Amino acid sequence: MLVRDVMRHPVFTVGPETTLEDAYRFLLEKGIRHLPVVQDGRLVGIITDRDIRLATSHLNPKGPCPGCTRVGEVMTREVVTAHPLDPVEEAARVMRERKIGCLPVLEDEALVGIVTGIDLLDALLRLTGVTEPSGRLEVRLPDRPGELARLTGFLAERGVNIHSLLSYPEGEEAVRAVVRVNTLETHLLAEALRREGFDVLWPPKKPW
Amino acid sequence: MVIYREEYRLYNFGPDHPFSPVRLEMITSLLKALGVWREPLAPPEATREEVLSVHSERLVRRVEAASRGELYPDLEHYGLGTGDTPVFPGMDRAARILVGGTLEGARRILAGEKRVLQLGGGLHHAQYDRASGFCVYNDLSVAIRHMTRAGLRVAYVDIDVHHGDGVQWIHYEEGEVLTLSLHESGRYLFPGTGHVYEIGRGAGLGKKLNLPLEPFTEDESYLEVFEALVPWALKAFRPDVLVVQAGADAHYLDPLADLLLTARAYERLFRLLLEYAEAYAGGRVLFTLGGGYSLDGTVRVWTLLYHVFHGLPLPKRLPEGWLRTWEARLGKPLTPTLHDPEGAYPEIPRREEIEKRNRLTLQRLTELVAPHLLH
Repeated sequence: MLVRDVMRHPVFTVGPETTLEDAYRFLLEKGIRHLPVVQDGRLVGIITDRDIRLATSHLNPKGPCPGCTRVGEVMTREVVTAHPLDPVEEAARVMRERKIGCLPVLEDEALVGIVTGIDLLDALLRLTGVTEPSGRLEVRLPDRPGELARLTGFLAERGVNIHSLLSYPEGEEAVRAVVRVNTLETHLLAEALRREGFDVLWPPKKPW
Repeated sequence: MVIYREEYRLYNFGPDHPFSPVRLEMITSLLKALGVWREPLAPPEATREEVLSVHSERLVRRVEAASRGELYPDLEHYGLGTGDTPVFPGMDRAARILVGGTLEGARRILAGEKRVLQLGGGLHHAQYDRASGFCVYNDLSVAIRHMTRAGLRVAYVDIDVHHGDGVQWIHYEEGEVLTLSLHESGRYLFPGTGHVYEIGRGAGLGKKLNLPLEPFTEDESYLEVFEALVPWALKAFRPDVLVVQAGADAHYLDPLADLLLTARAYERLFRLLLEYAEAYAGGRVLFTLGGGYSLDGTVRVWTLLYHVFHGLPLPKRLPEGWLRTWEARLGKPLTPTLHDPEGAYPEIPRREEIEKRNRLTLQRLTELVAPHLLH
């Protein structure tokens, strides 16, 4: 999944000469929190609802900034950006490490989109969500070549279709695979998998 | 009034498939052995047009072709020809016979009948454009649509262990259909949907209710949330009729799921549903069967339903002859009483946590739908 698959466009922007009042009203009107600042077609900064509230608040430890009336005076100038072909996980890593809420997306200097934390949550929902009627299998696999192939091969042999597959490391030597399969009979599959030596975590074996 | 015909058993995916017509054979023979079987009403099969009241032309065309042995290459896209819902000769008619039974129940209700028990159907996974999870055509939705077109408000209660997704999606935007499904959480079980936040859209907003329950939920916790939720929702919705999908696969013996209801809970559920029909739906109620894959558990649960439905006293034991015949045929012992033995399954260590989580889920659900349902 790439940034271009999750980004929003077109992007709402303001110019550096916009007043803070107008910019804030614009944010409220559009129900958004981030505004890239564009001058002569180029991205020159970014301003957020938090920047505006801080700049105008008595609660700001530095005090309100009475002289600050234009976006250009308050915006962040060093903007961290993404490219449409960046992987989503890379965008997430950058946002997490810098603790920032969005990345304007630039292609050849032109602003072509924006990715926010909300878009990354949407991506997570798409990755883990249930898009087809399906049952869930969870299998702990040894972390070595061919184990996932053994699992998917087993399912393929039985004509079971995999709708989604998520895997993540578990401890040092194992990988947990969460598989959504197009069958109501996951208990029977689990039994067959156990007979083949797989460590099936869900569905559980019934003691009666 | 009971609706049934022998041809229901034509809906047969093969000897190893869990949705087995043997269940019907066992129930009818048990009711006869108990001396309580009364001649049921034999319904006509549903027509193609009636099926098309809730399904797409292209799905129906593919089912019809598969029935004749002609296989469209894109069958799987329509949920057909899969491990769960394989195709078989004559499947279109077999499915239409089941639809016909539930639809006949709807007609009888419209003609003034109060209580109808359809001894078949309950194919709640079938969707507008696809077969799914053992379900080819959605008999419940065909019956519900027949009644809403006649001006009735319909409350659908689904106690099958799987989410009643087909019925929910088909009526998702309809204000005159309340759907209410209690099931094992989709996080763990097929079909994966049925979260509390699926609450309907448009005119249907707040009229689609889902109570996903924790695996290993037992009688007490199930009944606690059921008795809190169902009358509350029915009172707010004021239906003209109740349609109940009485799947028996939340029983602890079920091999495909993980809830732990005993026949005691089912007896109580059936009595409550009849009470609710009296209190909130003018006494009108249409029961269908549904899932249920432990022959032993399922047959006893639906035999209980038949007795409670007719107000019959419950037999102390199942007839010896019937037990001997079926134990020989199945090659395994059967529970000799309608109810389950005490301490049928080992104690569940996480019981308290499960009860707490189910209460929390109920609370979330009521908070989500209350603003739309109560006015």
